[in-house]
Order: sequence, then C-alpha cells, then structure tokens
Amino acid sequence: MKKPILYAFNCPGFFPGCFIGLIVLFLSNPLFAQSDTTKKLKEVKVKSSAIPQIQVIVPSQSLSANEFIHYNAFNVADAIRDFSGVIIKDYGGIGGLKTMSVRGLGANHTSILYDGVQINDAENGQIDLSKLNVNGIQRISLYNAQPPDILQTARAFAAASVLSIETIKPGLSAEKPYLVTAGIKAGSFGLINPYLQWQQRLSGKWAFIINSYTINADGGYNYLLFNGATNTKQKRVGSEVAIQQVDGTLYRTDSNSKFNLRINYYNSDRGLPSAVILYTPPPSGQKLYNRDLFLQSGYQHKWNSGLQLLINTKLSQNQLRYFDPQFPNTAGVLDQHFSQREYYQSAALTYAIKPNWQLSYAADLAVNNMNADLPAFRYPTRLTILNVLASNLILGDLTLQGSLLNTHLHETVRTGTTTPDRNIYAPTLIATVKPFADKNLQLRGFYKYIFRAPTFNDQYYGFTVNPDLRPEFTKQYDLGISYLKSLNGLFDYLGFTADAYYNNITNKIINIPSLYNGYARNTGKVEVLGLDAGLKTQAKLKLFTVTLSANYTYQQVQNVTDPAETIYLNQLPYTPKHTVAINAGISKGAFGLYYNQVISSSRYYGNDNNSFDYMPAYGISDASVVYKGAVNHFPVSLAAEVNNLFNTNYMVVQSYPMPGRSFRISFQITI
Amino acid sequence: MKQIKLHNLFIALAFVTVLASCHKDKTAPNTETPTAERAGVYVLNQGTYGNNNSTLTYYDYTTKALTADFFIAANTTKLGDTGNDLGIYGSKMYIVVNKSNLVYVSTAKTSKVLKTITLNQPRSVAFYKTNAFVTSYNNTVSVIDTATMTITKTINVGSSPEQMAVVNGKLYVANSGGLDYPNVGTTVSVIDLATLAVVKSITVTEDPVSVTADTFGNIYVLSLGIDTKDKSVNPGITIINNTTDVVKSKSDLNLGYNVPIYAQGDFVYYPTADNKIAVYNAKTQTAASANFITDGTVITTPYAISGDSQTGEIFVTDAKDYSSNGTLTAFDKTGKKEYSIVVGINPGKMALINK
Repeated sequence: MKKPILYAFNCPGFFPGCFIGLIVLFLSNPLFAQSDTTKKLKEVKVKSSAIPQIQVIVPSQSLSANEFIHYNAFNVADAIRDFSGVIIKDYGGIGGLKTMSVRGLGANHTSILYDGVQINDAENGQIDLSKLNVNGIQRISLYNAQPPDILQTARAFAAASVLSIETIKPGLSAEKPYLVTAGIKAGSFGLINPYLQWQQRLSGKWAFIINSYTINADGGYNYLLFNGATNTKQKRVGSEVAIQQVDGTLYRTDSNSKFNLRINYYNSDRGLPSAVILYTPPPSGQKLYNRDLFLQSGYQHKWNSGLQLLINTKLSQNQLRYFDPQFPNTAGVLDQHFSQREYYQSAALTYAIKPNWQLSYAADLAVNNMNADLPAFRYPTRLTILNVLASNLILGDLTLQGSLLNTHLHETVRTGTTTPDRNIYAPTLIATVKPFADKNLQLRGFYKYIFRAPTFNDQYYGFTVNPDLRPEFTKQYDLGISYLKSLNGLFDYLGFTADAYYNNITNKIINIPSLYNGYARNTGKVEVLGLDAGLKTQAKLKLFTVTLSANYTYQQVQNVTDPAETIYLNQLPYTPKHTVAINAGISKGAFGLYYNQVISSSRYYGNDNNSFDYMPAYGISDASVVYKGAVNHFPVSLAAEVNNLFNTNYMVVQSYPMPGRSFRISFQITI
Repeated sequence: MKQIKLHNLFIALAFVTVLASCHKDKTAPNTETPTAERAGVYVLNQGTYGNNNSTLTYYDYTTKALTADFFIAANTTKLGDTGNDLGIYGSKMYIVVNKSNLVYVSTAKTSKVLKTITLNQPRSVAFYKTNAFVTSYNNTVSVIDTATMTITKTINVGSSPEQMAVVNGKLYVANSGGLDYPNVGTTVSVIDLATLAVVKSITVTEDPVSVTADTFGNIYVLSLGIDTKDKSVNPGITIINNTTDVVKSKSDLNLGYNVPIYAQGDFVYYPTADNKIAVYNAKTQTAASANFITDGTVITTPYAISGDSQTGEIFVTDAKDYSSNGTLTAFDKTGKKEYSIVVGINPGKMALINK
C-alpha cells in the first residue's frame, strides 16, 4: 500500500533528491512540445464572473481578489470572517494570532491548501491566518467536507473542511509580456506595507510571478480594561511587527499540461504581548520570530484518453522562536526555539470511464519532524501515508461523489516511547440533486468521517507521553439547499444557500496537566447542531450597482463528555450561538463604497457558562471607499478603509483586547 | 498556529511552575482557639491562567449560603489573576495573587481590602508573631508587618520559592527552582524568626514545593522530582527534624500533578498519582492508609487539602478538568463524606473563618 507511488518515480518521495529528480523529469519531458498558447491562457485564466460559485457539490463559499477590499481584508482571516460556519479566534492587533474553526470542530480540523498543497503544521496543527497576507491571492474558497474536484492531493480529502487559497496565475501576451503591480498600504498602528508583483512572460509557455511585500508597524492601540464596574484606558504596547515575504513561482503551461515551481520565504519578527493581567503593567517584550521557507512544485497532465495526472511536491522548514524577557526564572528570560521540517510528495490520477463517471486515486507521503530546545524533548518524526480512492458520477440531475481515505501513521522518537502505528479508513459520501422543475434549485447532502492526528505538541510538549493517545474523530452530516439564478432585470443574480448540520467529535484531545507538564488525553466528546445560511445578490439600479451578501450561522456546540458533570451540555468556549455577517456595496463607475458588519452573540470563554466566563455580544462595522481608474492608461486604485468604525471595545479571546477604530489607505498602480 | 504554541507554552509553564506548586499548607493554623465557633469557610480559586478570573468563594456554615465570589461583592473590583494563597491571621486575611503581582490585606470577616501590597509574583504566605512572610518568584521572602501592612525586610532565598512552614521559631522555605527547569532547586532554606536571617540550607529531593509541620517535631517536604534524559529523580517526600534541621528520611512517592500536604493531629495527608488521599502517621512515622476516603467518594483531581482541627474534618477540593468549576468536599475524621459544595475554577486554598 505504501509503495506504488514511490516506485512510480523510482525514488523515496520524501528525500530532497527526489524533488530535484522530479523537476529534471518535468523539464526534459517531451510533452512540453510547442502548442497553442492562447488556448492555454484561456485555460489558466481565473474565472472572475460576478456570479458566485455556490452550487458546487459541497457547501462552499469564496471570495476573489477584487472583493477583498469590500471586506477591508488585509489578511486571509479578514477575508473569510463573513463566511457562514466560520469562527475566527483573534488575539488582536496587527501581529495577533488568528485561527479559524469551521462548524464547531476546532481549528485543527480545517486544512489550508495553497495552490492545492496543504500548509501543514505538524507541531500544533493550526495555521496562523495573520501570516497569510492577501497580497498575490486570486481566490479564497472554503469547502465543507472537501473540495469538489477529485483530481487533488490525498490530503485535500483528509480534513473536515478545506480552505483553498489560489494565487494569481500568469495571463500575459506576447504584446504585453510583463505586468508590474506596485502598491502601498499605510495607516493606523504605524502601518507601512509596500508590495510589488512582477509577472513576466518568458516564452509562449514559460512565465514567472514574483510577489513580495514588507509590513512594518508599531502595532500599539488603546483599549478599555474592565474591572468589575470600573474601566481604565490602557495601551497595548510591544506589538510591533516587521514582516517580509517573497514568493517566486515559475509557470509552464501548454495545451495539455501545467507545471509550476515555487519558492516562498516568510520572515517575521512580531511583538506578541501576552494576556492583559489586572493590576500589573501592560505586558510587553514577548516576541515571536518566524523563519519559514518552502519549495513547492506541481505538475498536471491531461491525456486525450481521459486520464489526468497531478503531482505535487513540497519541502518546508519552519523555524519559530519565542522570547519572553519578563520571565521570572534565574536567567530572567524565556527563550525557546522550535523547528519543523516537512518532506511531502503527492500523486493523483483520474480517469474518465465514461463522460459522466470519473474515478480517481491519490497517494500522499509526508515526513514531518520537529526539534525543540526543551528539556527531555523527544525529537519526533512522523511518517504519514495517505491513499484515496474517489469517484464522481453524474446521473441526470443527480451527482454522487464518494471517497475512501486510508491513512497510515508511523511515528518514531529519538528517546523514549511513542504511539503505535495507526491505520484508519475514512469514508465520505456526497450527493446533489435537482429534483424540481426549477433547475436553479439544488438539494445537497454529505456525510464525512475524518480525524485529525495528535499534533507534536499534543504528543510531546509535555515530558510525559501518553502512548494511548488516539486521533480525534469527527463525523459530519449535512443537508442543504441552494438556489442560484442569473437574472436580466433589476437583479443580476440571486443566490441563496442553507445547510443544516450535525457533527460530533469523539476522542477529543484534551490537554491535562501531569506531574511535570501537560499531557493529552482523548477524553472529550462534542456534539454540534448548526445552520449556515447565505444570501448573495447584485442589482443594477439606474445610477448604481448594489451588491449584498448576508450570512448567518447558528452553532450549538455542546460538551457531551460526561453526563455526571455540571458542564455537561454546556456550550464550548469561544463559540457564539449566533453570528451574522452583512456586506453591502454600492458602486458607480470608478467609485465604490462598501460596508461590512459582523455581529457575534455572547459567548463564554470557559466551560462553566456562567456570569464569570461570560463574554458579551459585539458588533463590528467596517467601511471602505474605493476608486479604480487609470493614470496614463495604467490602472490605478485608491482606497480608504475604516476598521471598527464605531470604536467598539471588545475581546474575542479573554484578556486579549482588540483594537478600536483604525484607518488604512492604499494606492496601487499596474504597469 | 502560534496561538496554540503560546497557549501551550504558557499553560505548560504554568503547569510546571505556577499551578503545580500552587498549594501550600503551612503549620497548623494558630489563629484558631479550640472554643471558637466557625462562621464559614473561604475557598480561593485560582481561575484559569491569564483570564483574570480568580475568585473567593465563601460558604456560610449557618445560613448554608454559598457566595461564588465574595471578593468582588465586598470590593466591587475583581480579585485578579491566579490567587495562589490565602491566610487568615488575627482579624486579617491575606490573599496572595500571583500573576497580578500583589498581596491583599483585608478584613477577614468581610474580605474588604485594607491594603494592597505589590510584589513580584508572590506565591505563599505564612505568619509568625507580628509578621507575615510572603515568598515571591524574585527569589525572596518579604517580611510584612501585620500592623502597618508594609514590607519591613526582604530575605533572599533560593530560586522560585514556594511554600513555607513556621515551627519551632523557624521558617522553612521550599526553593523549588521550578522556573529553571530542568535545573530545579534541591533545598529548603531555614530562616531564624528571631533574626530574620537564613541560618541553614537543607538538601531535599529535587523540586521541593509543599511544606508542612506536624506537632511531633517533623517538617514534611513534597518534591516533584525531575525527568529528563540526563537526570531522573522520582518525586518524593523529605522529612526533616525541626530541632536539628537534619534530614531524617527521604522516600519516593507516587505523586501526581498536585502536591498539597496537610498535617492535622496525628496524621499527614497528601494526594497520590491515582487521585487518592494517602495518610501518613506522624506519631509512628509509618504509612497509615493508601486512601483516607472510606465511603467510595471519588475526587477526580484532588487539588487542595485542609481541615478543621476542632472537628477533625478534612476538606478536599477537586479541580476536575482544571478549566471548570471545582468542588469542596468535607469528610469526617473517618473519611466519610459529609457534604460537597461547588466552588470556582482550580480551588487551591481554603481558610476557616471564626464567628
């Protein structure tokens, strides 16, 4: 089971040598013969139709680059905060950590794909979305269950939901072989964020895109610290950031194949002040340093026989340093270093048995390891082998999709004991049907059984390893309806979706303190009852074009671990029952005015759900004005944004106050 | 991602250093008079790290009324973050709030704050004559005059000092060194209460945290031990003769994450890794029982142990999952449950208040 993919390329896919081998293979492949360039360009061009793509086989929501400004989106977390079913956990401030949880399952159950390849974090299983700037991103899509295309990596099948980030692809011609976009964003918190994108056509087939940016900000902001009936004004200090990122990708495209090779480096020094503690001076000086490098390569080929091949390779290294200058040990500081590496190889094949029936097989192999300068650290290495069989069948108005994922986990440690091998089968079934005369109306449903493996932190952060620690399993049941109609009258289109779901989590991994440190146990059980609903429309009035998007989420996420405990049936921490997000825009010619409103009902930050762990509801409004015009035929855009328009004082995470009103202006020119 | 990293990091550190060593039970409370009638019991709940949700639960013996947070009711402001120790001495109550860097001196009966003393990560409090003694993570013991409520002297001890015991004119301070893990402490400092100077350093098992004294001339020190690839020492107990300040015995114990220790009458009580309350006979210096609880009552996570020397009752708090409200269960001297009340999150310390 583990071998075929490796043998196919005659190298153990996870060694760096293999990566080179694959590239050489691609470059010398005779498939890259001359062919029609224009045809290729059409293929790779991202569809930017105004009509939202909401009627794919699974519930999905997406946002494309031209809409980011409507949401005042500076990073990916901002862009997706309106999505139904999504809860962003935000520690506040420009460098503050932001993670996403979908449908009550916790952040570890959503995987994030970057041009189809997962951004993995074996250490803690959660991706900090604040590290993902919207610069260079073409489209962000959230798929519950899994992305609809069965030609994808096995990892894309291996999470409860998938956030797919697609970068801008080259779309250049011989007449205009380059495109340079330069811009700058500046504003509150001393923010200065210049960015540059250079797209260059090298030949009919070859092109590259380089995206780079820097972000500098002092990050400081005022907030109110509440204490009983009183409050005091304080300043969040020590949250300065200095971030640089560069992403360079080489593309080769012809009529039946695509190849890309990417290198990405992210470097950040972030002040990350800790929790605000009553009666003590505001914390400062805690720093987080990230040095992340990855190489990624993808190759896709389509044969006339209906066979398609997709190969992806990734090598990554993430280095993290945490520094606390206020630590009360003898040294007076806490300075910890963590590094992790991933070697990843994926191959997928699809074959169309009939025009309406596709079969696919995907196999991934990943090796992850981690180092940390912690006492008694065990230096784990994890081998993950994923095999998926999937099929897509269209029978008139009925579309059926099924997949079966096999996961094999094997772990080794330099010292001590570890968990035994795990071998797990996880099925997914998806169906959509249009049973009514009105074919704009679609019913859909899915069942997905999947798990997340214990992270290295779960398993090895403490000095006591729990050899019985098992993966955390989720079951999802979804039933939904979607309606999408293109119109020619006042409205351009009308889209509506609603999904009801029931999820449960078993073996939820809970970190429990032990003699020397925490250790994890599979003690938790959770049940989720939820409803996601969304409405999207666009109308052309006489003078204006009006867009409206509204999303509502209901999530009852209950602790069902132990009926004997008082917290049984209590709502999990940081889970509002109701969230509403409304985005409205009005545009005329070159000008657009946009308004975004997010409302969260009250939540609890603890398990007890009483007045002590209560966090009040909040509503946050953002607005932006955009001008898109031209200077000497060069497209320019100017925007001014106000975040937290009404200067609401609130916290998403207890003791981490959020910023009040802030401003941002941006200018961009494309040459 | 870093969210979890930091979270874990802090929680882990908190576990190692803050919470793990949060309990102390000093020598038998000398504020009690045998004829006093109890008004009720205070329970200091640490809350969850970083959430500023430490609370002071009060259970009134007469009315059976339970006040979830007596502190905020009396003072209108919150107690702070990680209330780590509580002591009643004379008419005053001392509340040591670790992360908020302060010690409240309050009126014991009302918990109304009289004075707030700022200290760098204070941990525990003990009393002798006109002084209160507070350990802090800046490796000191502060001497507070109980009349003026001001710090009159600062005594240097070992690193990350935790709990103390006062007996025989001496103050015994456990120098855990927990924040320097894996280079943990191995000593108990002995301070002469007449001169307020360190007179001796006694070597004990690695990472000493909890200290108590019996009435038979013994000091008991519980240590967490250490487990790294370079060094492995089992957790254990060190028993010290309080006249000679010489170690009488050292033995390994099957200790869990929480290591409160409490001496009352002839017995010393501490929880074991399997969440039972072990009993040691102080008089005969032998193990008395593997589990004090005799009626099958289960304490999920024993977090603090205390008692009432008048009634012979033993109180055990349960921290449950460390993130939701715990309980206090009162047992009679034979280990049978009398009653149980709901308290706050991580109930780490109790104190009886007389009428």
